[in-house]
Amino acid sequence: MIDLQERFSERKNFFNRLLLIYIFFTFLFGLIIFRTYTLQVSSFSDYEIAALKNKTREILVQPKRGIIYDRHGEIIVNNTPSYNLIIQPSFEMNLDLLFEDMGSYISFSNAEMKYAYDNFKNKASLNRELVLKQGLTQEEIARFEVRRHRYENVFIAERFSRENLYPKLFAHSIGYIGSLNNEDLENILAEQSIQPKETVFNYSNGYIGGKTGIENIYDKSLRGKFGKRIYEVDATGKLLNLLEEISPINGIDLKTSLDLESQKTAFLEMKERRGAVVAVELATGAIVTYLSSPSFSVNKIANGLSQLEFEKLTSDKDKPFFDRAVQGRYSPASTIKPAIGLFGIENEIIDWDYTINDPGFFVLPEDNRVYRGWKKGGHGNINLNDAIIESSNTFFFSLAYESNIDELTKHLAKFGFGRNVCIDCFLPDSGLLPNPRWKMNTHNFGWFKGDTVNLGVGQGYLSATPIQLAYYSALLANKGSINKLSFVQGYSDPIKDTIKTNNIYVSDWNKIHQSMIGVIENPKGTAGRLRSLKDYTIAAKSGTVELVSTETKEDYKIIRENEGNRDHAIIIAFGPMPNPKYAVSVVIENGESGGSVAGPVAIAVMNTLVKND
Amino acid sequence: MIKKFLNIFRNGIFIDYYLFISIALLSMMGLIFLYSASQGNIETTIKQSFFVFFGLTLMFAVSQPDPDFYKNNALLFLLISIFLVLLTLLTGKEINGAKRWLDLGFFTLQTSEIIKVALPVFLAAYLFDKPLPISLKNTFLTLLLIFFIVNLIRIQPDLGTSLVILIAGLYILFLAGLSWRFIGISSGLFVLTLPYIWNNLLEPFQKQRILTLLDPNADPYGSGWNITQSKIAIGSGGLQGKGYQQGSQAHLDFLPETETDFIFSVIAEEFGFFGVCILLFVFFFILFRCLYLALNARDRFCRLTIGGLSLLFLSTIFINLAMVVGIIPVVGMPLPFISKGGSSLLSFYIAFGIIISMATHKKLMRR
Repeated sequence: MIDLQERFSERKNFFNRLLLIYIFFTFLFGLIIFRTYTLQVSSFSDYEIAALKNKTREILVQPKRGIIYDRHGEIIVNNTPSYNLIIQPSFEMNLDLLFEDMGSYISFSNAEMKYAYDNFKNKASLNRELVLKQGLTQEEIARFEVRRHRYENVFIAERFSRENLYPKLFAHSIGYIGSLNNEDLENILAEQSIQPKETVFNYSNGYIGGKTGIENIYDKSLRGKFGKRIYEVDATGKLLNLLEEISPINGIDLKTSLDLESQKTAFLEMKERRGAVVAVELATGAIVTYLSSPSFSVNKIANGLSQLEFEKLTSDKDKPFFDRAVQGRYSPASTIKPAIGLFGIENEIIDWDYTINDPGFFVLPEDNRVYRGWKKGGHGNINLNDAIIESSNTFFFSLAYESNIDELTKHLAKFGFGRNVCIDCFLPDSGLLPNPRWKMNTHNFGWFKGDTVNLGVGQGYLSATPIQLAYYSALLANKGSINKLSFVQGYSDPIKDTIKTNNIYVSDWNKIHQSMIGVIENPKGTAGRLRSLKDYTIAAKSGTVELVSTETKEDYKIIRENEGNRDHAIIIAFGPMPNPKYAVSVVIENGESGGSVAGPVAIAVMNTLVKND
Repeated sequence: MIKKFLNIFRNGIFIDYYLFISIALLSMMGLIFLYSASQGNIETTIKQSFFVFFGLTLMFAVSQPDPDFYKNNALLFLLISIFLVLLTLLTGKEINGAKRWLDLGFFTLQTSEIIKVALPVFLAAYLFDKPLPISLKNTFLTLLLIFFIVNLIRIQPDLGTSLVILIAGLYILFLAGLSWRFIGISSGLFVLTLPYIWNNLLEPFQKQRILTLLDPNADPYGSGWNITQSKIAIGSGGLQGKGYQQGSQAHLDFLPETETDFIFSVIAEEFGFFGVCILLFVFFFILFRCLYLALNARDRFCRLTIGGLSLLFLSTIFINLAMVVGIIPVVGMPLPFISKGGSSLLSFYIAFGIIISMATHKKLMRR
């Protein structure tokens, strides 16, 4: 028998307890619903993005670099295609059979086959391309093409390499490209607000960037912008569908002012001697010829150089990597004389009629030190015009002696000495324009009057790069104004440098021109040997840089036995006169004679330029 | 003719339409969800359809006998279940280092799923004629049985199922009037032994799962992967979902175990918060129907059985959902009537068959 009362209380107890559990779970389910609501409604956008990020993969597409042209539209640097044999691996594909079959008409090296076998599974699982062979020959391509129908998912794809068509002519001006390190790559991609990630390459050597020269300076515009392919991927990273494609923006083609023909001439004339040639178009300040010699092949550098080859290049005593045109420091020597003469005119120390007697040397009154000219016995009574033509040292020693050093350095700075004169040169050196403060700071020695006297003939501490000499030459030719030099015009506004003067008039510039024409034309001119080489009138000033100070020709004969002690040959020139179009500077290390060694190079380059206009 | 046929049914069959229809509906929804969750795998879906059809038939069949049939044979059922579990331990099919399945040729039976139902029924039958609230002696006796069976399952090993069985057994004791003092003392003891359990009873991967719950971002690509991806799937579903078979998390393999443990994440991703609410509504409908039936059950055996089995159902749902939304650590636990898996599905059809039998045989007994 079951007591009714007990049965009732038992039921009540059961109800209470069951309800209690249900209430407890109702609360728990409330928690789950709240949690789901939070995930799906409150934080929806976060998770939507997370899901989108999960299922999509961005792959970058490398842009092609811009092509570089010379001023007449000749291609200097191009993207040269090479052809790769590529498969789209899938697990159904039998690599053994493929190699066996294709091996009958395309030869695969062991390394190529090993690479294919090693990477096949991984590429197949991720649905990525696998390169079987790089650099197919035309013959191999043809053989494959006729059999193409036999293969599914095997194709030939273009990859490019950056090729300088004149790898030695433009080694320093155009420069070369190279692989990017991670940091550079990150910085470049950061400009497009993207992170480094998997990339479809257009170039067989992967990520590339301009390392030197124009390739470096104009890298940003040449390189273009990476495109993107957005794929749907599964959890393993396998590519499923292409969802979106943003094509890469290829780099902008670059037209430079460089002139191929004159560059060839410069290269041939320099004959691998150490030195540099720079030519400038006067109207624009455009650099048309730019050669540092000896040169090297940029293509080898860009596309991989063996360690041995690289060491050979870097240890070469002629330093082919060294860009003498913007980094080589040379004393301007006698080429400075027109500028010193103009200083005398400007400061009314001399005029064109001012004459001194040149006994062949100058004695510094302070300490009786003797400063010698190049010609024993001197030039006799001589004025500025003749002093430039005959390159009288004594005239300019005494003119410099009368000069205030601070005024003189200010004056020379206007002609480009001691400062960068180029807008887009790669790592330009400023040369050295010495002054008393500089000497005190670096040599811990006060400025002597003798230092000023040396400056008067471009010797001593003063040094300039060939491009500074070209700028200087251009300024003389243009009568005191020239655009800052550049390889590419129209990229940014030209910067015009104009010398402000009080006492130098057009007639003075013209007289300077006449003097410099006389350097070649006058029977006493130091570069008279050039007279037969030119087709038109050219103004020039030669210079011979003494590396070792000698008193007599006999002494020089002794020291010249060591080639490294021989004088440097320098010339600046512009023409055709009377309306010059180009200015040139040539430096030949240890070339000994500015007029007869550097001169012919300058004339040849200018002839080519004028002929080629 | 038809009228006569219907008359036979009206008088001769026992069916609770609320439960039957809602469970059938849930099963159909389950098939639809599974088709998507299995990446449109027809084979899986057809196999599951077979289980659903068989399960519904089984549920109908199980609901025909009088509840006394289950009461009288509860011990037999339990002994058979225990025998099967022991047999599994000895000769079972080993999958991933766990021996949980008996290979019957046409079907691999997860025997723990059978005992999950048999134990509560037996406990209810055992307590039917004992004085209530339950005496201390009976408490210990039943606890002994519960722990024996739970341990049998635990050593398979199958932590999830053994926990559910433990919970189901404890529900019966609780509903049978287990004293609050006993509950208080044993809870206290349980808390005290937690460090021991942590150090000695939990496997390293189980500890890792608990740690992962606390900070899923510590290792999102390793131990935190499942829960991280599950949350992304659920969260990215939003209010309306991405559409049937459009869930990228599920279909691109980011989400693990989409057919079983994490099927709710697939549903949430593809049908959104609205879909989740509809699914939960069906579950709640079934649960509250069970609550109603338990409160109106004809006798103590039915009361305890309906209470115990419905709470078993409730706990299973809760554990699964709480796991996939990241409230509790990851334990293998299917979502009833939705997840793939024959044994678990059939055990719940049997459980609800018994509940329906108890719900519909009331009047006959009153006579």
